[in-house]
Amino acid sequence: MALKNIEKQLNILDYALSSLWRRRAKSFSILLVFAAIIFLLASFQMVTQSLSDKAKQVLAYTPEITLQKMSAGRQEAIPLAYREQLAGIFGIRRVVPRIWGYYFDEVRLANYTVMGMELENMPEGARLDASLANGKMPGPEARGWVFVGHSIKEALNLDERYTFSLFRPDLTLKAFTVSGEFSRDTDILTNDLIVMNLADARDLYGIPAGLVTDFCVYVANPKEIDTIAKKISTALPSVRVLTRPQIQKTYQVVFGWRSGFGSICLLAALAAFVILAWDKASGLSPEERREIAILKVLGWETSDILATRFWESLIVSGLACILGMTAAYIHVVYFAASLFRPVLMGWSVLRPDLHLLPRMAAGDILLILAFTVIPYLAATVIPAWRSATVPADSALGG
Amino acid sequence: MLLNPWSLALTLCSLVVLMLGAVAGKTAARVLRFWEPGSDTNRQIRLENEIWLSSTLVAYGLGFQIITLILFVLAADQFCQVIVGAMCATGALLANPYGMPALMVKLFGVFFYGFWILLHQLDIRSEHYPLVRIKYLALLLVLPMLVLDVSLQTLYIAGIKPDIITSCCAVVFGETTGTTTNLLTTGYSQQGLLVVFIGSIVGLMAMGWGLLRRWQAGLAGLYAAGWLWYFGLSLVVIINVISSYVYAMPYHKCPFCLLKPEYHYFGFALYGALIPATFFGASAAMAGLVRGKTGLSGVVDYYQRFAVKLSLMLLLIFSGLSFYHYLKYLITGGEG
Repeated sequence: MALKNIEKQLNILDYALSSLWRRRAKSFSILLVFAAIIFLLASFQMVTQSLSDKAKQVLAYTPEITLQKMSAGRQEAIPLAYREQLAGIFGIRRVVPRIWGYYFDEVRLANYTVMGMELENMPEGARLDASLANGKMPGPEARGWVFVGHSIKEALNLDERYTFSLFRPDLTLKAFTVSGEFSRDTDILTNDLIVMNLADARDLYGIPAGLVTDFCVYVANPKEIDTIAKKISTALPSVRVLTRPQIQKTYQVVFGWRSGFGSICLLAALAAFVILAWDKASGLSPEERREIAILKVLGWETSDILATRFWESLIVSGLACILGMTAAYIHVVYFAASLFRPVLMGWSVLRPDLHLLPRMAAGDILLILAFTVIPYLAATVIPAWRSATVPADSALGG
Repeated sequence: MLLNPWSLALTLCSLVVLMLGAVAGKTAARVLRFWEPGSDTNRQIRLENEIWLSSTLVAYGLGFQIITLILFVLAADQFCQVIVGAMCATGALLANPYGMPALMVKLFGVFFYGFWILLHQLDIRSEHYPLVRIKYLALLLVLPMLVLDVSLQTLYIAGIKPDIITSCCAVVFGETTGTTTNLLTTGYSQQGLLVVFIGSIVGLMAMGWGLLRRWQAGLAGLYAAGWLWYFGLSLVVIINVISSYVYAMPYHKCPFCLLKPEYHYFGFALYGALIPATFFGASAAMAGLVRGKTGLSGVVDYYQRFAVKLSLMLLLIFSGLSFYHYLKYLITGGEG
């Protein structure tokens, strides 16, 4: 019984394939449009996912807690003296002051990110020199050295040279020597980054002694992050305490929101496609009516014709999925999602050339299927029924 | 949190199912009002055609509902990344009071559609369509259930605030009782649970074997009741015993993480055996209820034997799957 049933379904599948082939112009037009819709949705999904993966990777390098001083709702420099008030809190591994800012290069019209830190004070495992492609960290007393990211090196034409200069706020020049370059693996974080000594950064930006932009607090036990964050905000009420999990969640929400927004925009395209599919499936030509009538005369039941239509829809959606998702993967991996990158990524003049690697779990594929195949199947079921209930005599009589 | 691809996909699927349900409901109302088996008027012929439409729509609805059920759990798993304190789907589903009811309604819906399709399949095997009225009354009940499903799901999604603190699954299903809310109060000992679990498997096997030798309506009813009991028990056992052996972590007791790729999608096999097994086990007795209708006795007899055999086979598969990690642990001493 079960075997007979499978054989019957296989025969119906065979018939459905041949029927699709007979109407190839119609089938291919639907297939192409459907594949395009799936391509758009899948690319969006893949970009979002690989970007949020990337963000997670990057955040692994950030300190567990970041402290910023707020005044009138805006960030301002934080006095180094605040460090003493953190001394009594157990569980803090290290507090590293940091000067962190942007430098706009008026000659090259590009924004660089500048970070001044006491690198030798950073705990093992979070050391920036671990991600250097070449060069090594100078001693704590050395001055004027920098580590640069890939784009900086290109923007400043540093192929042969090792020295360059930047302007202080009073337009005097400050010279730097490149002593290391970051590896390309951390491009999303270090591409536009210049790392230097804290004192050099203070000199470059003209920040008074005793002030920095923020503190990086390293915590030994990740389970204590929240407790320590709470203690810090009680000890220093005017300070904004950002924890790494909080930042991570915010990234997730933002990427989820952006991808949801994109999906809503694509819903319009999906709706148009569903109407097209409905329309194509409803318009029965006299030949098709004749075909169904002949099948009925030959002994086919309504359910068999419905099954044929179901297989046809399934074949079209299956092929469209394979086409669309493959195209989306190629778009994201080899073209770095050039269609959607501006929507999903933040602003920056120096864009890292990202290597996105989407990770497609079964769940993500199911999500894309739910977005596309279910509306398509639903749109074709009622027209399929209409065609399946064509009375045998009406079509043959004429 | 409606503006998220997972929420949007769930909402879209629910709307599609609701639309299909509404069309099927329209047919149901017309059939209940105008159905005349003996007549050959135009209207009757049209109605007989429409029966095909409604059954196809419900079959599609079942398929879509199974997909949304999976999607819902996976979505909850995604949401947990943005909910403070939630570490997996459990925490996300308990983030507000609508999560668990929405899941339950979806699960119940899968069974309900299944039973409806069974009724339909039995009905069309007879020339007289003896079950038309029962079938379409039941179909009218689907609509309020679908509305409930969509409303609960929407309330759940809309109610998720990415900063609400919820218990993560380590607390929810964990041994600690007290201030935290437990999804299942774990007062039972693991050994005791396992004994009852094995006892139930043996009992079901014996009943099924008895039914296959000689069919008795009373025993069939008991078999169905046994399956419903076993379904509930299995969920408790999966949460309290099996899951932590799969995760190889004594304090991780969660029925949803089983579905993740990290555990080789083990949950899909587990639930994919348990849910159909329960359906076929319980439906054998259900089919017996309509055996008295004209022209159905042969079909029902055939179906009942088939359903019992299938449920026993699935039971074997399910038991094998559920004891695999446990035995592996006992024999090899756990994860290498």
